Amino acid sequence: MPFAGLDRGALSRALAQLVDGPDDLVEGYLERLEVVELPAAGGPPGVCRWREEGLAVRIVRGDRTWAASRDRLDGAAFAEAARQVARVVPRAALPVPVIEADPWPAPGRPTELEELPRRVDRLLRDRRVAFPYRLALRRHQRDLQVLGPQLVPAPERETFYSFRAELEHASVGGLLVELGDAAAEQVAGRLADAFRSREAAAPEAATTAVVLGPGAAAILLHEAVAHALEADTVAESGSLETVRGLRLSEHPIDVLDDPGGAPHPVRRRTDDEGMPVAPRWLVRRGVVDQLLADQRWARRHASLAPGAGRRADRHRLPGPRSSYLRLLPGEGTLDDLLAAAGEGLFLPEAASGRLDPKSGAFTLQIPHGRRIRDGQLREPVGRCVVRGRLTGLLAQVRAVAGTAAVGGAGWCAKGGQKLPVFAASPELLLADVEVGPP
Amino acid sequence: MKAPEVGDAVLQSLRRWNLADGEVYLKSGRNRRLRRSLAGVEHQVVGEEGWAVRGGDRRASFFVAGTGRPEPEGPWPAPGGMPLQLPERAPVLRWSEPRDLDAPLLTEIEAHTLLDAVVTALLEELPGARVDDAILEDGSSESTLVSSRGVRAHWRHRLAMLRLSASLPEHGVQATLVQAVRDAKRLQPRLLARALADRLAVRARGNEAEEDGDLVLAPAVAARLLMLLLPLLVGPEASGRVAPLLDREGRLGSPLLSIVDDGRLAGGLLASAVDGEGVPTRALPLVEGGVYRQPLVAWWQSRGPGMPASGCSQRPSFRDPPRPGPSHLFVRPQEGVRPAALVAGLERGCYLLDVDGPGELDLAGDRLRLPVCGFRIAGGAARGPFARSWLVGSVGGALRGVVGVARDLAFLPLLGMIGSPTVRLSGLRLTGGD
Repeated sequence: MPFAGLDRGALSRALAQLVDGPDDLVEGYLERLEVVELPAAGGPPGVCRWREEGLAVRIVRGDRTWAASRDRLDGAAFAEAARQVARVVPRAALPVPVIEADPWPAPGRPTELEELPRRVDRLLRDRRVAFPYRLALRRHQRDLQVLGPQLVPAPERETFYSFRAELEHASVGGLLVELGDAAAEQVAGRLADAFRSREAAAPEAATTAVVLGPGAAAILLHEAVAHALEADTVAESGSLETVRGLRLSEHPIDVLDDPGGAPHPVRRRTDDEGMPVAPRWLVRRGVVDQLLADQRWARRHASLAPGAGRRADRHRLPGPRSSYLRLLPGEGTLDDLLAAAGEGLFLPEAASGRLDPKSGAFTLQIPHGRRIRDGQLREPVGRCVVRGRLTGLLAQVRAVAGTAAVGGAGWCAKGGQKLPVFAASPELLLADVEVGPP
Repeated sequence: MKAPEVGDAVLQSLRRWNLADGEVYLKSGRNRRLRRSLAGVEHQVVGEEGWAVRGGDRRASFFVAGTGRPEPEGPWPAPGGMPLQLPERAPVLRWSEPRDLDAPLLTEIEAHTLLDAVVTALLEELPGARVDDAILEDGSSESTLVSSRGVRAHWRHRLAMLRLSASLPEHGVQATLVQAVRDAKRLQPRLLARALADRLAVRARGNEAEEDGDLVLAPAVAARLLMLLLPLLVGPEASGRVAPLLDREGRLGSPLLSIVDDGRLAGGLLASAVDGEGVPTRALPLVEGGVYRQPLVAWWQSRGPGMPASGCSQRPSFRDPPRPGPSHLFVRPQEGVRPAALVAGLERGCYLLDVDGPGELDLAGDRLRLPVCGFRIAGGAARGPFARSWLVGSVGGALRGVVGVARDLAFLPLLGMIGSPTVRLSGLRLTGGD
């Protein structure tokens, strides 16, 4: 942990000098980011490495925010940023605190990144498929320390991996929390599925029953529940007060944002504002329960609880976002869901999703799937799009399978901030969904 | 130590690591950002400072980047992958920095005053309209590049960008406007408000249009259309994509159509003497009088005299390895042709004021479509607004159908600066619906 040796007391005292009233939110934010990339074989150049560190100081007073950020991690940068956001002349000169983060470790060889492509190759051979593809891998590590004038939470660390594979006719990408056998299986499986469906025709436009795999279900819930229940999104499209208690689904689905329950490498005790995280019931038994909020929104609306503030980096302000979304399991198996669907489409993965917060319209881009006929998986179908309205789609939930799997992890972009999001979901059966060619 | 000295120290270190080739890029900048939205008022001051080093030899290479200044002694990772290719030093044409590069950034009060003026002017132009989200970014940056191939370059940029999202709640319509200038003091609140009000009013009162007469595209629409056609204009693969669209004489478009990329465009917001790899920039005609000359390619993509390169490597930040891309890509304006003259001669057709979203290009199917709004034209005069309509047609039809080009070149900050004057097209049509 690079921030273990910080003089947190001195930094807190420096921040305390910026406080001018009991409602002022004053915060310091230190971060260190490292990304190591192993490009696809033959790709220029060889190993790529990004190492960034810096800090930010922020004051929130009412609905106004002042922030300053620097690409340096030292006392002078901290004092300079504090001076830039100070709204009043401090009673004493702002002290220059000592910030001595641990030195960067010597860059080692990214052996775990080098190993994965070999495993994926082996697993593809086991599946008896062979095709050209280019697989690029990245390891992401982020250390952060939030500081307040009184309370200083413990530092946090997130480590995860991202991959991107280019096939001749498709590209596949996503996030992984570790690079073991399960990750290699996941990547190889998705590559093989993409290859096998390369010539499959898109399904004709229809309103049909759909069984979503864990990956696709997670992305659907990310768009239709998580984004839709972010306090700023709700405020943009309507009233915060009227959303809670709204029934989204007759089926008793439960959706939580649970950063503390995420897989260990991305598990969090506090959010990016230093607020403790707790399981947050976004939808309970089909009804909207809580919204995602950061400190700014929670201060303006008493019904909102902070703890979901996230920021892409020091140069961005935190906003309400989800981290680790969970759809709680129901009963039954995938076979039960297929049997209940009878006829329709099985869509295992979604490449991306998009929600228009104002209209509530959203789309899921599906790279491939299978037809369901007589309750059985049949021939493959190619790229297609699931379209719907927020409330209408969740009202079509008919069943949730009994086992959740981690899936649908990916990058989520909103307001210029790209954040990693993770999820766990069982398969989901929806009736009467609009599916059509891209 | 000054930036070039830091660069030289790193190059010496790379040599000690037995890395024959190296390039050091240092960038620093300041940015003030004011945002007024439903979430409140945000004022940010951002100080960025970073570097990137590419090192390697004839067999392998690496790319590393970080914040602050690089430690001259590294440590550097073991090179792998492909060899490092760096451009040789080339003579740079004389270059004078724009005079307003040193204009101070707006203060917080000045930024608020500017946004207040836009809000007031919009209400005067269109009662009931409101600005929902306004983001003003005002920044400057300084870059230094040194390489083992003798490249030594230094350049500066200065850019202010205003993004306004407004709505007319009574009618449930929205409009967005983005404008970039070098000095934020040049932003004109009344003109911005009028442009927003026009877009809101058209969307509020317009209905769907079906039209197959001539269409006059405002610069904002023509620039978006040009951006949609970038796959035909950028990168070595573009030639192959263009081939099916060429006639026997190698003609891609109408004789009135010329498309240029110019990294040192006079008055251009991203103009500089060299690109992100230190290669001299220049004006490169891609389409001249309708004849396809070549795509935009970087020096390492050049394929002999038939496809000469220009300095077009872009580095949006120190984190980004250099990538070829347009700097100022534009349809060449026709001197002396007023935009009004293109409309005045229109017996029946439409004037396309703005786009309503991203367009779609299907090269395999030779189709394009772009959501647009604007005014119907009859007898050279506006005859009422339309909205929720699509500009549709074939790719070749769009390029060959240029029957008029005006003089009013304007740029949009898209992928680089993409620009066009008002353009009149025939052969495309408008259709309503989703």
